[in-house]
This record gives sequence, structure tokens and C-alpha cells, in this order.
Amino acid sequence: MVAPGAKRTFRFPWRTRTAIRAEVREEFQFHIDMRAAELVESGLDTAGARAQALREFGDQASGAEACVRVDTQVERRVRITTIVGDFWRDTVLGLRLLLRSPGFSVVAIGTLALGIGANAAIYSMFRQTLVQPLPVRAPEELVNLGAPGPKPGGDNCNQAGKCDQVFSYPMFEDLARVPSGFTGIAAHRAFDITVTPGRSAPSEWGMGTLVSGNYFEVLGLNPVLGRLLTAADESGKASVAVLSHDYWRARFNGSSGVVDQTLLVNGHILTIVGVAPEGFTGTTLGIRPAVFMPMSTRGFVDPGSETMLHNRRFYWAYLFARLKPGVSLEAARTAISGPYQRILSDVEAPMQSGLSDQTLARFKAKVINVEDGRRGQSRLHAGLTTPLTLLLIVTGVVQLIACANIANLQLVRAAGRAAEMAVRLSIGGSRGQLVRQLVTESLVLAAAGGLAGLLVAQWTLVGVAMLLPTGAMDTAVTFTLDRQAMLFAGVLAIGAALAFGLIPALHATRPDLLSTLKDQSGQPSGARSASRFRTSLATAQIGLAMALLVSAGLFMRSLANVSNVALGLDTDHLVSFAVAPGMNGYSPDRTRTFVERLEDDLNAMPGVTSASASLIRVLSGQSNGTNVSVEGFHADPDTDTNVRVQGIGPNFFRTLGMTLLNGRAFSPADAEPAPKVAIVNEAFAKKFNLGPNPVGRHVGHRDGSLDTEIVGLVRNAKYSDVKREVQALIFQPYRQDGNLFGMYFYVRSNLPTAQVISEIPRVVAKLDPGVPVRDLMTLPQQVQENVFLDRLISILSTAFAVLATLMAALGLYGVLAYTIAQRTREIGLRMALGADPSQVRGMIFRQVARMTLVGGAAGLAAAIALGTAAKSLLFGLDGFDPLVLSASIVLLALVALSASLVPAMRASRIDPMRALRWD
Amino acid sequence: MIHTSLTLLQGTADLLILRALHQGPAHGYAVSRWVRERTDGVLAVEDAALYQALHRLDARGWIASEWGLSENNRRARFYELTAEGRKQLRAEVSEWKRYAGAVFKVIETA
Repeated sequence: MVAPGAKRTFRFPWRTRTAIRAEVREEFQFHIDMRAAELVESGLDTAGARAQALREFGDQASGAEACVRVDTQVERRVRITTIVGDFWRDTVLGLRLLLRSPGFSVVAIGTLALGIGANAAIYSMFRQTLVQPLPVRAPEELVNLGAPGPKPGGDNCNQAGKCDQVFSYPMFEDLARVPSGFTGIAAHRAFDITVTPGRSAPSEWGMGTLVSGNYFEVLGLNPVLGRLLTAADESGKASVAVLSHDYWRARFNGSSGVVDQTLLVNGHILTIVGVAPEGFTGTTLGIRPAVFMPMSTRGFVDPGSETMLHNRRFYWAYLFARLKPGVSLEAARTAISGPYQRILSDVEAPMQSGLSDQTLARFKAKVINVEDGRRGQSRLHAGLTTPLTLLLIVTGVVQLIACANIANLQLVRAAGRAAEMAVRLSIGGSRGQLVRQLVTESLVLAAAGGLAGLLVAQWTLVGVAMLLPTGAMDTAVTFTLDRQAMLFAGVLAIGAALAFGLIPALHATRPDLLSTLKDQSGQPSGARSASRFRTSLATAQIGLAMALLVSAGLFMRSLANVSNVALGLDTDHLVSFAVAPGMNGYSPDRTRTFVERLEDDLNAMPGVTSASASLIRVLSGQSNGTNVSVEGFHADPDTDTNVRVQGIGPNFFRTLGMTLLNGRAFSPADAEPAPKVAIVNEAFAKKFNLGPNPVGRHVGHRDGSLDTEIVGLVRNAKYSDVKREVQALIFQPYRQDGNLFGMYFYVRSNLPTAQVISEIPRVVAKLDPGVPVRDLMTLPQQVQENVFLDRLISILSTAFAVLATLMAALGLYGVLAYTIAQRTREIGLRMALGADPSQVRGMIFRQVARMTLVGGAAGLAAAIALGTAAKSLLFGLDGFDPLVLSASIVLLALVALSASLVPAMRASRIDPMRALRWD
Repeated sequence: MIHTSLTLLQGTADLLILRALHQGPAHGYAVSRWVRERTDGVLAVEDAALYQALHRLDARGWIASEWGLSENNRRARFYELTAEGRKQLRAEVSEWKRYAGAVFKVIETA
């Protein structure tokens, strides 16, 4: 019977419906028997008494049913509250225990948070750049087309893919017409544009994507507002545009009245016909277009290029297609290859001239590529696959170390609680209950670690965002901590909880009851295997930390090499920016005037020592090339006569700090009617055997006359990329360029760069407030953006390696401290028998040395494998670098030594008398 | 008519059970006998209905039940009032007194 107010201390096992029914029957039967007995006592015969008792009771069957129904509901409720209550109790108990050992909790939660945070962040980046398909209908049906092989004439490619990927527009139109395994083929190409959202609004620089009429149809998208583009827009005379959702939100406040309004692109009026769906930012990672326009607007989006739509010898359009249902990628490739090769041999081959027989044969043998296109088309996919996979591996290793660390901490704690567990088991606690409580404790820990980990992930992504290059309007690539990543973090946390909660829990609940109870300071049975397990965990941690240290060392050295590259120019105190008056409808002549006046105004700014302009932005990845003929240099059709080109203003070399070796720099007089002049770099002179002084020689376009005189020779300096070898380069005065569109400017001054940066927009606005200033930054900033991937990898991998090494040190310390506590009696005995403290210390250090040697050797092997795999990411060194290897070994040895110092000291100070009396 | 008397009976049965258990823990048969004896058989509740009421009150938490041994050493289910049941009993008793008082007033003046 239950005493009033007393809580039930134990529970009945849960009852089934059958058991409940039996109980109700028994209760009823008891009642009827009692009543019948009472009636017999009052004088009735047995049969009569029984009959009356039954009659008085009433409908037994329905009464029983009602009781069973009520009891079953109660049973269910009790079951739920018990489970919830147990969980809550375990949680509270877990929290209380965590609070009782704050040191352990802080280390454990911190370790988990860093591990989970790093993983969630890198996984977010990995998923968003390399896994996530385009937000379109059935993205798995999309394929990208490519056209590798010779491209006589010219090609032009961008962020959407390598030059192997581009097609001429007539070829696209032919392919779109032939029967194939595709429901449709679409073409697209993004350009820098100046966009003005309405007549009185300020202009700004952005991206605009030219698309074939069926682009949205092939993607299977629906508009948020109005309509998307159709085939009719491509041939139609009216200029129309579809806004991206982001741009519509940012510049039109998401107004529904935007349809039929106008907007200016490069000074031309377009009618807005609709808004693209939310989340769709084009089909190229790294380019977020503000507007989508039909191909027919190419003429003013990329001024002077109308003919490109009809030129078979100019390659620039990116193509993708959607597979017909049930058609495989291979089948579609076979189906399109026939028509492609027929067009090549029948239509295009006869148009070529000046090709050698070999090149013509290669031209005719070109094949069309059909590849998975669910992620869209972007160079970033190829560029980021290795680095992000590497970082994912690194963070995975960090997570492994974190888990090993926590498992170790838990094991140590569990061993300390072995006595408690034994007592609880012996007074009737079930093993299941204890395991459940230990697992709940771990889950509490994991929940705290997971939550803190999300914060760490958020910070990591913010940090990464600061290392990424800036794009038009906002960062070209954005990383957000997405739901998937949070789920990932959750799974990691729970996985970690189970991994490090369950094993120690099982260990802890398996002690030999008798021996543990009998001898608390002795070792619970199974302690030998447990300590071996702990030692191997710590050894594995050392190995993993070693691998990460080595790879971080490699990337740090690589970044140091990148930073120490001799650029050949002086970037200090240099600010650069761009203007493109051509995008505001300026003619080439007006643009030239604008640029000349801006150059003068910049040079006249107080504090400015020199200012100049160039056509190609230096160290930005931009690169333009052409084939040249050089006086006295014999070239066959297949001889490589390709050089890089750059158009510059008079002060260019002085402003950028480049050295003129021979001849003269350009002067303002080197303008349109004057004789054509050029300056070449050392690599040019070498490539064409011009000797130490090429001044006075003549060059010209291939197939053309040698109409340009070389007037100077400059020392080699980096052109497009920091890491790229300097190529042959020819400079020409921009004043002799007939097709000026926009320019990049460089301003050198003694003033603080921040002041110059704030001053520049005002100087430009004085000439024309409608021309936006873009890419305004210091040259060192620009150089950093040029090598952002190197910085990203080296900073992240170093941070992770430091983290991992600290965790490994912590793990090592934990194991040693625990081992010594366990071996107190043994050590005391040894000392009582004459061992001196240095021998005891030696014993500990030998143990550490063994672990470090084994772990370190395994780690080195892994590191060499990792370094070799990541070779493509290293600059100026290969995957096997003795300096990095030896530095890592020394560092790890030092860390291991310092982690073992305190435990070793403690061991050598054990008082034999106390240790032996220990009980 | 039958319906209203049943609901009245149900409320009354609850009150009678709570009152019966106020004496101390008892099994269902003892409750039944207590009601029969105290009302001189006027308010004889059908036993099947009595047990339904007992289980319902148990589910509500006004009474608690547990298996034990009866006076003749048989397994029997014992019920006892919980703190909440005690409170409920007080409330129902005063409600009944008010109700009965009002009915009496009407009858006296008539």
C-alpha cells in the first residue's frame, strides 16, 4: 500500500492490455466472491447467493471494457511521462555533473565546439560550391557542352569555364536545330555592365547575362513576376530584360509594379518584362547577374560586338542542355556528335585559312563534350574541388581528434566512477539504466558542444568571407551556414556523443563487482585493456596532429613563397580603380578624351606623385593575347607567336615602379595619327630572339605588315597572376587604340591610401557623376585577392593544425595524469625499493617517447601522402619538404614533452609512505 | 429522463466513493458495502458502474490504487484518496450542501 505523500521509488513493469484485462477480471471476481460469501452468511444457499451477487453487480462485460479502456489510457500516459521524466532527470543530473567538474566540461565542450564548428563551416562551403545543384526543375537532367580543340580566329572565355567550353554563336544555332537527345540547348554569357534602375537613379557596376531565348525554358523556371524571356525576344526588335530576384529586391524594393518599367544598361533603355525566381542567381557560381537579357542586346552590352552573333570563327558562348527523359548522357553525346562533326567538316573547315595540315586535321577531328551539368557552369568548381576536399579531410581529422580526446576524458572519468557504478549495480540498478544515464550525459555534452559549434562555424564563415575576393555589388560567392550543415553538425554531435559516451559507458558498467568494491584504489578488472585503449587513442591523436602540422607547414611555406614572389613592380602606396565610360554609352573617341582628362586630374591631385592607366587590370587574372609577327623572326603556321597585350598611359612604368631597361617610355604624343609604337618585356625579346636591345625593330599583327616600331624594353614584371611565369608581353599606348571602352587607373601618392581612396570618386564625379567607380582598392589588396585561395588554405589549415595539436597535447596530458594516478601504488613501491625520482621521470618520458615515435611515424606517412595529393595547391615546393617535416617533428616533440612535464614531475614527487598506505 | 438521472447518479457516485475512501484505503467491495450501509440501501449504486467510477477517478488522480492482501488473505485492489482527491471531496461536499440547502429552501416555502 502507498503511504500518503510518499513518491513511488520503483515502478511496476509496463502492463499490456491483456494484463490490464486480467486485473479488472480479478477485481470483479473478488467483489462477487465477497458479496456471495456475505449473502451465504446471512442465510442464502450458495447458488442463490451467487445469483444475487451477480445480479447486483450488473453488466460485467461492459463494465470491464470501460475500466480496461480507462486503464489503458492511463498506462500510455504514464509510459510517456516516465520516459520524458527519466530523460529530464538524466539531463539535469548530467548538467549537474558537468557543472561539478567545470574544467572537464569546458575542455570537452570547447573541443567539441571547435571540431563541430570547423566541420559545419567547411561542409557548408563544400556543399554550396561543389554539391548543391542549381535551383531549377530536375537539375540532374542538365548537361554542359564543351568544344575542345583548335579555335582558329579567336576565343574569349570567362568565369563560366575554360576556353575549351566555348562555342561560336552560329554553331550554337546549328546545334539547337538538329535532332538530338536534348529537349533544348541554351546559350549564355555574362558581361560587366553599368546598370541604372530608372532615369534619375545612380548608375552602378554589375553583371548582366546574355541568354538565348530558350534559357529559362530549358532550366524550367517560372517567374516571380511578369514573364521570363522567350525565343521571340531574341529575334524581336524591342529591348527587354528580366531582373534577378536579388537585384529586384535591392533596387526596386521588391515592388510588384516593376513590370513594363524601364532600366538603363550601358546607357540603353530596356523594358523590364519580369523577375526571375528567388534563389536563382544564374548558372555560374561566382557570377551573380543583376539582369538577364536576350542575345540581341549584345551590341550594347559588349559594344562593337554585334557581329559576334554571326561570326563562326569567334568562340565565346557557353552551352548547356536538358536531356530528354530516358536518354542517357552517353546516348545524347553520340546523337549530337554526328551533326557537330558534319558542321565542322562541311561548313567550318572550308572557311579556315593559314592553318597547317596537322592543325586542320585536328580541327576536323574535334569532338563535342557532354558532361553532368546539374551544378551549372563555373571555373570555381574545378578550382575549388581540391582545396575544399583537402580542408574537409583536415576538419574531419580535427573531428576525429576531438572525439578521441573526449572519449579519453570520458574514459578517465568513467574509471574514476567505477566504484560508484559497482555500488549502483550491486544495489539493483540495471545495467541499461546506467548506460542510459551515461549516454544522456554525453548527449548533454554534445548538445552544448553542438550549439557552441554553430557559433564557431558562423565565425569561421565570417572569417572566410573576409578572405574572399569582392565581386560586383556584393561578394561573388557567399557562404551561409545552411540547414544541411546544421543537420550535419547535429549528426556529428550525436555521433560523437554515442562514440564517446557508449564505449566508456559499457566499460564502466562491466567492472568486476567484487574486486572493485573490495579494493577501490586497485584497478578494476579490464583496466589493462582500457589503459591500452586510452594509450592508443592518445597515440592516434599524436599521429593525426602530426599529419595536420606537416600539411599546414607545407601550405604556410607555399604562401610564404607566394608572398615573396618578385612582382617586378612596387605595390606600396598604390591605389587602383576602374571606370568604363563605354558602359554609359560613350563612343570610343569620347571615352579616350574622358580617360586623358581623368589621367591629368589624378596627376594634379595634391600629394599624388604619379598616376596612369591601363586597359588590362594588372594582377587580377585578366589577360588578353594576340598573335604577332616580328621582324627577322621566321614563323611557320604552327609556330607559337602568341603574346600578352597591354594598353597603357604615358606614366605607367613610373607609377607602377617598373624598370625601363632600354629606349624610352610612351609620351602623350604617342597618339592616334603619330607612328605606331610599342614597348616589349624581356620575355618577349627572348621568345623572338631579339637580343639585349630590341629597340628599333618592327612588329605587327600576324598576317599583317610590320607597322609598329619597338621603342623600349622593360624588365619582366607580373602581368595577370602572381603565381604565373612572366609571359612575352607587348605594351602599346592606349591613345593609339581605336576601340576604347574603359580603363583601369593607378595612383601613387605619399598620402595615406584611405585618404586617396575617399578622394578618387569625387575626382571622377567632377568629369561625369553618372560614370561609376569600381574595383577601388589598394594594389596590395588586389594582390591578396589574386592569391586568395593560397591564403584561405594556408590560414585555415594552420588554424586547424594548431587546434589539433593543442587537443592532442591535452589528450596526452589526460592519459598521463590518469595513468600516474592509477599507478601511484606501483610507483610508490618502486621508490620504496630504491628507485630515485629521475628514474621515475625517465619511465614516464620513455612512455611518451614511445607514443610520440609510433604516432609521429604514422602521421608522417599520412602527411607525405596528403602533401603529394595536394601538390597542385603548393607553390614553389613539392609535397615532400625536409624543412617542413623536420620543423613539424621538432614542434610535435616539444609539445609532447611539455604535455608530459607536469605529470612526470608529479610522479617523481610521490611519497612512498603515503602511496603504500593509500586506500 | 433516464439520461439525466444517470448523469446525476454519476456525479453522486463520485462523491460517495470519495467520501467512502475518506475513512481510509479500501477495496472496491468495501466501498460498495459502505455506501449500501450508510444510505440504508436507498442509494444502492450498481457495482459495475461503481468500478467504472473508481477507475475513472484513479485516472484523474483523485484516488490511487495498488494491489494488496484483503482481510481474508486474497489479492485485492485497494484504493486511497490522494491529496488532490481530498481537495475535490471538500469542494464537492460544500457544493452539495449549497445545492441541497437551496432545494430545501424551495421545498419549505412551498
